[in-house]
Amino acid sequence: MFIPIYFWYSAFVIVLCGILAISLRNPVHSVLAVLVLFFHLAGLYLLLQAEFLAAVQIIVYAGAILVLYLFVLFLVNLKEELKISAFVPGVWLGRGIAAGLFVMLMWVLPSFTAGMKGSWPSIAVSQAGHTKALGAELFTQYLVPFEIAGLILLVALIGGLVLAARVAQPGPSRHITDNVEQTETLRQTEKPS
Amino acid sequence: MQIQYKKKRNLLQNLLLIEMAQGMWLTLRRLFTKPITLQYPHEMPKVQRGFRGQHALVRDPETSTTKCIGCMKCAMVCPSRCIRIRIHKEPGHGNRRFIDEYHIDALRCVYCGYCAEVCPVNAIILTEVFAYSAKTRQELNFDMPQLLGNWDSYLAGQGELLKEYANPTWRPRGLPEGPMPVGKRLPVSDEWKGKDQVVGRLWRQSVQEQNR
Amino acid sequence: MQVLLLLFYIVILFTVVMLHVAYATYFERKIIGHMQVRMGPMEVGWHGLLQPIADGIKSFFKEDIIPENADALGFRLAPVVSLTAMVGALAVLPFAPGWVLADIDIGLLFIFAMSGLASYGVILAGWASNSKYSFLGGLRSMAQVISYEIAMGLSLVGVMLLSGSLNLSTIVEAQGGSFGGMYIFPQIIAFGVFFVAMLAETNRVPFDLPEAETELVSGYSTEYSGMRYAIFFMAEYVGMMVMSALGAICFFGGWSGPFAVPLFPALWLVLKIYAFMFVFIWIRATMPRYRYDQLMELGWKWLIPLALANIVITAVCKALF
Repeated sequence: MFIPIYFWYSAFVIVLCGILAISLRNPVHSVLAVLVLFFHLAGLYLLLQAEFLAAVQIIVYAGAILVLYLFVLFLVNLKEELKISAFVPGVWLGRGIAAGLFVMLMWVLPSFTAGMKGSWPSIAVSQAGHTKALGAELFTQYLVPFEIAGLILLVALIGGLVLAARVAQPGPSRHITDNVEQTETLRQTEKPS
Repeated sequence: MQIQYKKKRNLLQNLLLIEMAQGMWLTLRRLFTKPITLQYPHEMPKVQRGFRGQHALVRDPETSTTKCIGCMKCAMVCPSRCIRIRIHKEPGHGNRRFIDEYHIDALRCVYCGYCAEVCPVNAIILTEVFAYSAKTRQELNFDMPQLLGNWDSYLAGQGELLKEYANPTWRPRGLPEGPMPVGKRLPVSDEWKGKDQVVGRLWRQSVQEQNR
Repeated sequence: MQVLLLLFYIVILFTVVMLHVAYATYFERKIIGHMQVRMGPMEVGWHGLLQPIADGIKSFFKEDIIPENADALGFRLAPVVSLTAMVGALAVLPFAPGWVLADIDIGLLFIFAMSGLASYGVILAGWASNSKYSFLGGLRSMAQVISYEIAMGLSLVGVMLLSGSLNLSTIVEAQGGSFGGMYIFPQIIAFGVFFVAMLAETNRVPFDLPEAETELVSGYSTEYSGMRYAIFFMAEYVGMMVMSALGAICFFGGWSGPFAVPLFPALWLVLKIYAFMFVFIWIRATMPRYRYDQLMELGWKWLIPLALANIVITAVCKALF
C-alpha cells in the first residue's frame, strides 16, 4: 500500500522537477529543482533497497556536482539571458521529435523482461550488506572495467588541468614589460624638468 | 633596536605545532583565573580623585555664582571646540568681564581636561560623575545654570566643602610651581606634584636629561 | 503503533538535542568569557542560567525581515534546509546499545550526505539574500565544504577498514569497549585530519571564513534576523554536536566507558561529545582565523594527501597482520 504511493509520488516529483529545471528562468532555481530531483531519485533507490547507491547519489551528485554547478553559476553571474539561435528550425518540429521519442519509448517499454539472475540475489545482498557486495563485485569480477573507468576519469582530470593551465606566452608579456620600462624611463626623464 | 616578530623554530617544534599548544595552554590557564571585570550596575567602579567626568563650574561661596573671569583660555585650548562663552564689559567696571553665556557641549567634549588645567582661577572642573545621560542633544549642551547645578550636586554627593576641596586636574602637570598663578598652587598630594607626579613619558625623559 | 512509537522517539530526541543546543550556547559564552578573564552572561537567572531561554524568546518574537530584493523562496528555505539536514544526521547516531533511531548499514555515508546537504542552506542563504557580504560568505562556504568533505571522508576510510562496516553501532562494537581498543591509537593521523576537517565543516574558528565578522559582517546570515537567524544558529550547534558525536563514535569508543551506567547508558557518549564541544570552544577562544588561500592549501595539500597515506598504511597493515 505504502510502497506504490511512494513510488508514484517520487516519479511524479522527478518528472515535475525535470520540467521545472528546464523551464525556470532563474538558473539557481533550476539547480534547486535538480537537487529535489536527486533526492527523490535517491528515494527510489531506497525503495529498491539499494541504500549504498542512494547515499552515494546524494553525496556525489547533490553534495559535490550540483555545488560545483552552483559555483560556476555564481562566478559567471549572468545578468541577461543568452539568446542562441535554435538548433532545430521551428518549435513544432522539435516538439514532434520529442513526442515521437516518447511514443517510441512507451512502445518499447512492454518488451522489457527481468534480467538474468546473477550471483547476488537480493537476499544474499541484504545478508552481506550492500557496501560489501558492491565492493566485492567491483574489485574482483569487474576490476578491469573499474580500472579503465578510473583511467578515463584521470585522463579527463589531466585534460582539464592542461586546458586551464596558463601557458606562458613570451610575445605579449614582453611587450607589456617593455611598455612599463618605457613609462618608467619617461617618468625618470620627466622628473628633473 | 631589532624587533623579532617570529621566534625561530626547529622542524620538530613546527611539526608538533608547539606555538598552537602554547596558545591553547595560555587560554586554558586563564579559564581558571578570577575574572577582572566588574558587574557594572551591581558593582560600581572606584573612581579616583582626578577622574575626568561630567563638567561643572565651581560656585564661589562668596558671590554664589561662578568664579569664571571670562579669560577665554579654556575656549581657546579646547581641542574639540566644545566651549562657547559670551561676555560683555560694563562702564565703571574697568576691564572686568561679565559672563552672559557659558556653554559646554558634552557630546563634543573629549574629556581631555585641558580646560581645567588652563583655568587660572580653577573655575571649571571635570567631576567624578561618569554616568549621566539625556534624551535630547540639547540637554547635554550644558549652559551656566546647569553647570553650576552639576557642581552643587557633585559637592553634595562628595560630602566635602569647597575650602578643603582640591582637584588634581586643576594642576598642570610637569611644570614648575613658581610661575603658576595663585589658584594653581594647590595643596594636592605628592603624587600630583614634584618629581613623583604622574606624567607622560616625554616629561620623564626631559627630567632625566636635565639631571644629566 | 510502531510508527507512533518512532514519532515519539523522534520528538524526544529532537527536544533533548534542542535543549542541549540552547545550553551549548550558554556553555560557549561562559567558557569563552572566563578564558578572556571576564564573566560571560550573568544577568538572567543565577549566573545567567536562563540566558538561552531569554535569547530564544527574544529571537522568536523579533520582527522577521525579508529584504526587498531578496529571492523570497530561497531566503525562506535556506535556514530550514540547514537545520533539517543537521537534525536528520542525528537519526543514525547510536547513543547507547539500541538507542538509535535508524540503525542503517550506511550510517557514516548518511552523515556525509546530510552534512553535504547542510551546505546548501548556507549557499542558498548567501545567494538569496542579494547582499555582497552574504554572497561572499556563501561562496567561501561552498569551496570550503567541498574541499574539506573530501578530507573528512577519506580520513574515516581508515576507521571503515578497521571495523569493516559503515554502521556506526558496529564501529563502536568493533572497538571492543576497552581503552586500548579505541581507534584513536591506530588511527592517530586519521584523527588529526578528521579533527581539522570537522572544524572546517562546521564553519568554526579557525575556519569560520563564511561568517568572518571582521570582514563579512556576519557572512551568509548578514541579512537574517529573528527566528530565521536563530535557526541558522541552531543548525550550527547541532552540526557541532553531530560532528563531535561522530568523532567520539569513530575514534573514542562511542558509548563505552570505564563502567556501565545504569538507567542512562548514553552518559559516556554525552560526556565525550561535551569534551569535543569544549575543545571547539577552547580553539575558538584561542586561534586567529585562517586566510582563505591558507585554508585551501591546508585542505588540498596537507589533509587530503595525509588521509590518502593513512588509507594506504591502514590497508597494508590490515592485509599483512
